[in-house]
Amino acid sequence: MTDTPRTLAEELRTRTDGGLVDLLRARPDLLNPVPGDVTQLATRAGTRASVVRAVERLDRFALQTAEALAVAPDPCPYATLASLMTGAPAPAPDAPPGDAAPHAPSLDAAVLTALPGAVAALRAQALVWGPDDRLRLVRTARELLAPSPAHPSPTGLGPTVAEAAAGMSPGRLQEVIATAGLPPTHDPVTAVAALTSLFTDGERMAALLDEAPAESVAVLDRLLWGPPYGSVTEQPAPHLRWLLERGLLLPAGARNVVLPREAALHLRAGRAHRSPAPVPPALAPVTARDPQAVDAAAAGQAFTALATVEELLKEWDLGGPAVLRAGGLSVRDLKRTATALDTTEQTAAFWLELAHGAGLIASDGEADERFAPTPAAEEWRQLPDDRRWAELVAVWLDATRTAGVVGTADAKGRAAAALGPHLDRSPAPEVRRRALALLAELPPGSAVPEVAVLDRLHWERPLRAAAPESAPAAPGGATPPPGEDLRTRLARWTLAEAELLGVTGRGALSAHGRALLGDAGGPAEAAPRTAPSAAATREAAARAAALLAPLLPEPLDHVLLQADLTAVAPGPLLRPLADTLGVLAEVESKGGATVYRFTPASVRRALDTGRTAAELQEFLTAHSRTPVPQPLAYLIDDVARRHGRLRIGAASAYVRCDDDALLAEILADRRAAPLRLRRLAPTVLAAQTAPDLLLEGLRAMGYAPAAESPEGDVVIARPDAYRTGPRTAPVPVPEGPPVPDAPLLEAAVRAIRAGDLAATAARKPVTTATPAPGAPPRTTSAETLATMQAAVLTNAAVWIGYVNADGAASQRVIAPVRVEGGFVTAYDHTADEVRTYPLHRITGVADLADDTV
Amino acid sequence: MNGPLIVQSDKTLLLEVDHESADACRRAIAPFAELERAPEHIHTYRVTPLGLWNARAAGHDAEQVVDALVQFSRYPVPHALLVDIAETMSRYGRLTLVKHPAHGLVLTTTDRPVLEEVLRSKKVQPLVGARLDPDNVVVHPSERGQIKQTLLKLGWPAEDLAGYVDGEAHPIALAEDGWALRPYQQQAVEGFWHGGSGVVVLPCGAGKTLVGAGAMAQAKATTLILVTNTVSARQWKHELVKRTTLTEEEIGEYSGTKKEIRPVTIATYQVLTTKRKGVYPHLELFDSRDWGLIVYDEVHLLPAPVFKFTADLQARRRLGLTATLVREDGRESDVFSLIGPKRFDAPWKEIEAQGYIAPADCVEVRVSLSDSERLAYATAETEEKYRFCATTGSKQRVTEALVRRHQGEQTLVIGQYIDQLDELGAHLDAPVIKGETTNAQREKLFDAFREGEISVLVVSKVANFSIDLPEATVAIQVSGTFGSRQEEAQRLGRVLRPKADGHEARFYSVVARDTVDQDFAAHRQRFLAEQGYAYRIVDATELLSAEEDA
Repeated sequence: MTDTPRTLAEELRTRTDGGLVDLLRARPDLLNPVPGDVTQLATRAGTRASVVRAVERLDRFALQTAEALAVAPDPCPYATLASLMTGAPAPAPDAPPGDAAPHAPSLDAAVLTALPGAVAALRAQALVWGPDDRLRLVRTARELLAPSPAHPSPTGLGPTVAEAAAGMSPGRLQEVIATAGLPPTHDPVTAVAALTSLFTDGERMAALLDEAPAESVAVLDRLLWGPPYGSVTEQPAPHLRWLLERGLLLPAGARNVVLPREAALHLRAGRAHRSPAPVPPALAPVTARDPQAVDAAAAGQAFTALATVEELLKEWDLGGPAVLRAGGLSVRDLKRTATALDTTEQTAAFWLELAHGAGLIASDGEADERFAPTPAAEEWRQLPDDRRWAELVAVWLDATRTAGVVGTADAKGRAAAALGPHLDRSPAPEVRRRALALLAELPPGSAVPEVAVLDRLHWERPLRAAAPESAPAAPGGATPPPGEDLRTRLARWTLAEAELLGVTGRGALSAHGRALLGDAGGPAEAAPRTAPSAAATREAAARAAALLAPLLPEPLDHVLLQADLTAVAPGPLLRPLADTLGVLAEVESKGGATVYRFTPASVRRALDTGRTAAELQEFLTAHSRTPVPQPLAYLIDDVARRHGRLRIGAASAYVRCDDDALLAEILADRRAAPLRLRRLAPTVLAAQTAPDLLLEGLRAMGYAPAAESPEGDVVIARPDAYRTGPRTAPVPVPEGPPVPDAPLLEAAVRAIRAGDLAATAARKPVTTATPAPGAPPRTTSAETLATMQAAVLTNAAVWIGYVNADGAASQRVIAPVRVEGGFVTAYDHTADEVRTYPLHRITGVADLADDTV
Repeated sequence: MNGPLIVQSDKTLLLEVDHESADACRRAIAPFAELERAPEHIHTYRVTPLGLWNARAAGHDAEQVVDALVQFSRYPVPHALLVDIAETMSRYGRLTLVKHPAHGLVLTTTDRPVLEEVLRSKKVQPLVGARLDPDNVVVHPSERGQIKQTLLKLGWPAEDLAGYVDGEAHPIALAEDGWALRPYQQQAVEGFWHGGSGVVVLPCGAGKTLVGAGAMAQAKATTLILVTNTVSARQWKHELVKRTTLTEEEIGEYSGTKKEIRPVTIATYQVLTTKRKGVYPHLELFDSRDWGLIVYDEVHLLPAPVFKFTADLQARRRLGLTATLVREDGRESDVFSLIGPKRFDAPWKEIEAQGYIAPADCVEVRVSLSDSERLAYATAETEEKYRFCATTGSKQRVTEALVRRHQGEQTLVIGQYIDQLDELGAHLDAPVIKGETTNAQREKLFDAFREGEISVLVVSKVANFSIDLPEATVAIQVSGTFGSRQEEAQRLGRVLRPKADGHEARFYSVVARDTVDQDFAAHRQRFLAEQGYAYRIVDATELLSAEEDA
């Protein structure tokens, strides 16, 4: 092994175990399955899918560095890279045209400070390898990031002279170099080299440009920072022709021209990026608030959150709305729920998803499916406030279902329904934790504007942000998707939801919010955040809840009764008290306090549940700090006086009343006609209507009838709670493979090392038993892949051993056309058609003697 | 964490009145929150955009509002609410109306996009003239009120800094011989004068007329007073002659019968809104003199056409007087934009506590209908139901019994239906004042009542407003205009004037049990209960048997 590794594999082999662990942690997809040896590891690290994944996770500056490497010569010395990032080391002889104003020196200094870190990060991810004087970007990454007409680079640079001139006729090329003032050469290759050297030579280039007409310079200015392509007519204007004739614009297709990379770099004073971003955007401006006030505000909101979820459960206590056939809640039901919760639909969707995520509500799974609280909801309700909060936030933190998506149209134009399918967004937990972690970096009590957090997140993952939702990642961010990207929206939702849950208060992370993040809130930058296990999250939530508990208001055991028939609970009430009051009075206003209003209807409802007027009076006297006002006592007695005066039997649907005038009154009332009443006796009316309808009807007329059992007792109507069967809460769908833990990583590295040792150990030459002639060839999978890829390039046919799905071995002669995704597409000479073979089924491959096919 | 205030999610504020810092809190939140309900223990205030802009107009800023909430709140105030308050308050004053030396009235802005936004509105376009520069646009002087009203509706209320004309000077002073303005009246006058224009909210019987007189004494200019009816106009005149240096000759009455225009002119809404052949012939009254002050009595009853005229009077000082800003038609924002923001208010209970209005004992008497009445009620047409149950014989009998019970006390019987009142008048042998009673006859009867020559007077709703019956100690309400809260407040006001002997006033509502009468009564009384006047509910049989026992 030489000092300078010749391949990525060789370099990886020289890395320490720790280095490999870092690589595998940063790119966990390389671990599935565990590679057999370092060669396999390097091969897999170079596959397109894996590289795309890794590139997407780069922060903006590392990405800019990688982009600069992609336009730099390969290999690229560190000094060249540095000058690409900061501009030419020596100032250009005269000021370059256009707006290429030099960067502020402080920015250049920052770039130079940050650059080694960026290169190290790229190297750690195995995207860059080689020593500092020969930095190499892995080939796939180079292909991804280098400018091409299909994927313009964010650098705004075009192809090199050599690439752009590839399609030109040699004669045309000679004309160009002649006009540019260069001596003629004998072949296109040297002509291109001469032109390239002209463009890269500062002084000669400056001299050439000095002669340029002003309009031509203006054209160059327009193309300078990209996109470098322009279109020309059949007969270009003179100032365009001037540029075309000197190769400063090279043809790119029928009517298009491109500014070659070398020329652009000269004009830009050698800079690859117009504005390098070496430093993450600061989280500013910081508003310092009193941490105690923040905690108190957050606790207040946490309490509201609990109250809201509880209200939702209560709202659905007797069975919630129906489940749509496609799953989820209809828009109308969502609206209704939002009205019931006194909030917007978007917020209502959040509460619904939260309760659903925590397993508190679910579909009941009956034939006519409806949503309803689960048995777990009952248990949750019995928990102390802080534990209930802990349950909710633990679920929220790791949920991949996002309420923010509700109401937006998917690719097929269907609006996503709350509690419905297609709400999972895999990056959500990561973004959520990261956004909160950013807030945690600030001193306690500090708040920053939302946009500062969003900017920072965007800097950390520029590509992920730019990639449209669920579409295959488009490196280079060619076309920004309409509207906001997913990560930004996720972050925005996170901040709003954190406020709703009381994780943050007045925009600042609360002390219990900080505890919730636990250790995950470290200042780790590009390294992927290790998502803690569900158990760890719960533990952190419990710790947070312990901090929150003293801040939550103590439940009260009293209310204030007033003569305007209201009761004010100046704080949260003990549950039994709140439940009874909820029946006895209507809630009029919510918040820190609750205002209840007594109405005849609400008192009647209480009487309907079997309580007597005396009990109600006693209840109010016991729980009121103030004397029961006379009008309220009168109201209860008055309703009680009328309550149950009318009795309705189920057996024959009758109306019975000791007061025959009242029955006469009912009979005389025109509104009673639909009830089809008939007087049976002075004190009894019979109805042709079902008893329940009859009850309704008489109540609508303003009476307070009571239902009667066949024995003549008053039937007590107390609503029964409705529950689903036992349900498990939905499990988050995390993005990508699970993050490996340390033992797994170590074991993987050990395995790779062992495999590598086996593969590369110098062995005594043994006479391997050459396979019997005609027996299928045997090669390692790495060799198989390499041979196949070579065969694709050379259009050669190969001989393979193949095991089919039934385990039967065969031999075939194939001409590979394409190798990708673990499959070989090849023309099968044996079968005489194009077939696709899984690589792992190929036992071995051997070249054919040249003249076989 | 133990303040007296609780902030609710629906932007109401609950104030615990027994709390030690309740008074401080009330003073802190009064500028921006409207007192909505004031029952015995917990008062409810509501924060509305209008209230916040009122506060801005009175010179308070968002920081003070937020501080007040945060300082007195028992629980953390939701951040969103604070943000919303700051946002709403910052909308006021981005646009200002100023007097430009060359161009007259100019709408100017400190925030150009806002001006752009409002100028785009179709409703604003006809009201403005040339754009002077990006920040200034000329407003037709005649549209000063209109544009304020429109901008308020667009959510960008304009601050009116264009000032007032002084009007024609006329010497007016208070003749404080043996009496003086009460402290709160003084504060109200000062609050109004300092603010330029605006509304003073005082309970019935708290001496709103004197606040008007005080304002006139400040203005020392010709004054136009708009009142609800002729009786009220005479009372204003009477009071002004008595309380100020003005003489009978200086005060003119402009009503259906007289058309006098004097330095101080009292006009009725009715005559102003009389329309002949599609025009308002009495409108020139507004221009007949160079008025320095315009007083609107009972602002909450201001008819819609008067709003329209008022829009043209923005250069004159305007004083609105009312017992409540509640308007059944919900046009509070017009009052705000055209007359001015609330400059002073004091809850009834507070003034009662100071001894300026009499405490009242409010009793609802529930009357059970007889069987035949119930049957008739059940079969009555829906639109006839209220009339029927409000005028039943059972009620008549209970009413008569109540009058007998308070024999010797000055008693008013107030009702809605003339037949009922006539019948009651006949039974009680008491004069009836109704719409057809002439003004001369009315005044004669009122005088007789005042002198104690008559002790029982039966009045229809014509007497709802602005009559002054200082010695009425008992009022019995037998029927009303359905559920009008306004009317209930006015009627209670009849007995709230301080009594010579400090006797407690009584206010009875006679209500038929289990009928719509009861429902309407509940609605009307809720308003009073919310003002702190709790009703007792008593069964008629109980009340009358107690009387027999006694």
